[in-house]
Amino acid sequence: MPLDTSTYSLALLRLDGRRWNELRRMHAQISTQPTADGSSYLEMGNTKVICTVAGPAEGRKAGGGGGTGGDANAMVQVEIGIAGFSGVDRKRRARGDKRTSEMQLTVANAFSNTLFTHLYPHSTILITLYVLSQDGSLLAACLNASTLALIDAGVPMSDYIAACTSGSTSSYNNNDEAADPLLDLNGTEEQELPFLTVGTLGAGEKVSVLVMESRVQAMRLEGMLAVGVDGCKQVKEILDDVVRRHGKRILLERVKI
Amino acid sequence: MTFSIQALAAPSRTNEPRSTGSDISVDSDEELQAVSSVKRKKHAAVITPGELVTDDPQWMRGHGTAATPGSTAILATVAGTLLRTNKLLSIQPLRARYTPEIGDLVVGRIVSVETKRWKVDVSAPLLAHLPLSAINLPGGILRKRTSTDELAIRTFFSEGDLLVAEVQSVYQDGAASLHTRSLRYGKLRNGVFIRVSGTGGGGSVVRARRQVWTINTANGGGDVDVVLGVNGYIWICKHSRGELVASSEEAKKMNEITRMEEAVSESMYSNRNDEIPPQTRREIARLTGCVKALVENGIRVDEEMVMAAYHASLEPDGDDVPMTMDYDEGHETHEYLGGSRGSRVVAAAVEATKG
Repeated sequence: MPLDTSTYSLALLRLDGRRWNELRRMHAQISTQPTADGSSYLEMGNTKVICTVAGPAEGRKAGGGGGTGGDANAMVQVEIGIAGFSGVDRKRRARGDKRTSEMQLTVANAFSNTLFTHLYPHSTILITLYVLSQDGSLLAACLNASTLALIDAGVPMSDYIAACTSGSTSSYNNNDEAADPLLDLNGTEEQELPFLTVGTLGAGEKVSVLVMESRVQAMRLEGMLAVGVDGCKQVKEILDDVVRRHGKRILLERVKI
Repeated sequence: MTFSIQALAAPSRTNEPRSTGSDISVDSDEELQAVSSVKRKKHAAVITPGELVTDDPQWMRGHGTAATPGSTAILATVAGTLLRTNKLLSIQPLRARYTPEIGDLVVGRIVSVETKRWKVDVSAPLLAHLPLSAINLPGGILRKRTSTDELAIRTFFSEGDLLVAEVQSVYQDGAASLHTRSLRYGKLRNGVFIRVSGTGGGGSVVRARRQVWTINTANGGGDVDVVLGVNGYIWICKHSRGELVASSEEAKKMNEITRMEEAVSESMYSNRNDEIPPQTRREIARLTGCVKALVENGIRVDEEMVMAAYHASLEPDGDDVPMTMDYDEGHETHEYLGGSRGSRVVAAAVEATKG
């Protein structure tokens, strides 16, 4: 069922009943695993990701999943594990899977520029992400979960990285000038529509991650980007709320004794 | 599980009126005083990364903050609470990895052996160094180190050994240099190791006046030592060194004491555990359970809380199976300190330390 030609133009409601500028339900928890230095669990709609952070610690060799940073800075390493049961059809991804390693590199690059890695020379920060369920916006969910886990680990960073996706309703063939941009695409929408993932630094206009793998008309890009950056602001508020609520709970426990 | 804890937290929440403005930006003298009063209050507002702490140029930035290029604004870089020391603003993170400071008592594990030093995992960002020159060598404390000692470096500590040490200095890059030049420090044996999170957060070790103490345990367990490393590594073991000290007090001769020191250094690098009676093992396990219960319920781990939890764990409570001393029969007793039993013990301990 081609989404861009049928139902959307009639009711202006997407397949899951959202309007063009609405995020899916976003739910997150912080400090979920007591043995990790930092950990988080994040849901963006039906995309569910667990993140743990180990480090900064010495003693891991370079190599493996995407790692960046010199010797004077901490190296940020990212490992993404996608569960076989996470998608619609069950398949096991190979370890050196190209799509996975590109995501690892994107996340590692984003955080090695945002974290204050110069404070931890010769050490490694290992971000491990487990994807439990995928339904679109996987990279955005990975970035958001990593941000929360790194905050939990107490690693200094210049600001949150908040990410979301945006797409465009009309395909290239339609050549529709008034095509609406869409915010936060789910799995079915991602398969049919051109989309991009955008991550901003905090609630500002600074874009730190921008990935687009599909083809789209150049004039659509601006609208998509604007909607995406706007969505990132909302995402940042949600993440900030999670951190604040967690912090408040910890402070209350400190007062208790 | 947390039901009793929340009940305890309720009164403290009501008698601390919180200012509605959670934003701690400091622009005027009036608000400056608000900052100091926030600090004095028991719980301040949480500051998150990227948040503006102040844009007043009179403040200096400390840990957990960053300057913005081209302006006087100070932004937070970690999530935590604001700490003001005179004109220095810093953010204390809610939870962070342990950062070594001079004088810290730490428990560590040897990771690698090099020619003249060991590398020790103290759960810091970098491995700590323990130079051969910073340990007590057997056969008297004041002995010159020889190349023989260098060759026999593995006989003192080898990979995987646990030790208690003090941070002697901190290098430029933040790595710690340790020393064990005291009879209180050295290799650890006869006990169990627990790892809790580093500084901050709920359940973690806090820097305290006393990090090492001896408990005269109940149920005939004898004396048990507890070593709380500031880095969140904890060691609970059978007390042994004190026996030697006691015997030296009986015989107050000088040569007796030197002999004692020799005896200590003989056993100092031994890898063999002593014979530990079952009663002692049981009490060590109970203390371990107490520490784990404290951590699980987000309570700080220090001498006061561990002792309170230990005493609370000895009390039978109504909801459980009756206390039985018949260990051979193998049915469930009060030894188990997890789950709801753990939270009850912790709640009782918190109550005891309040009153």
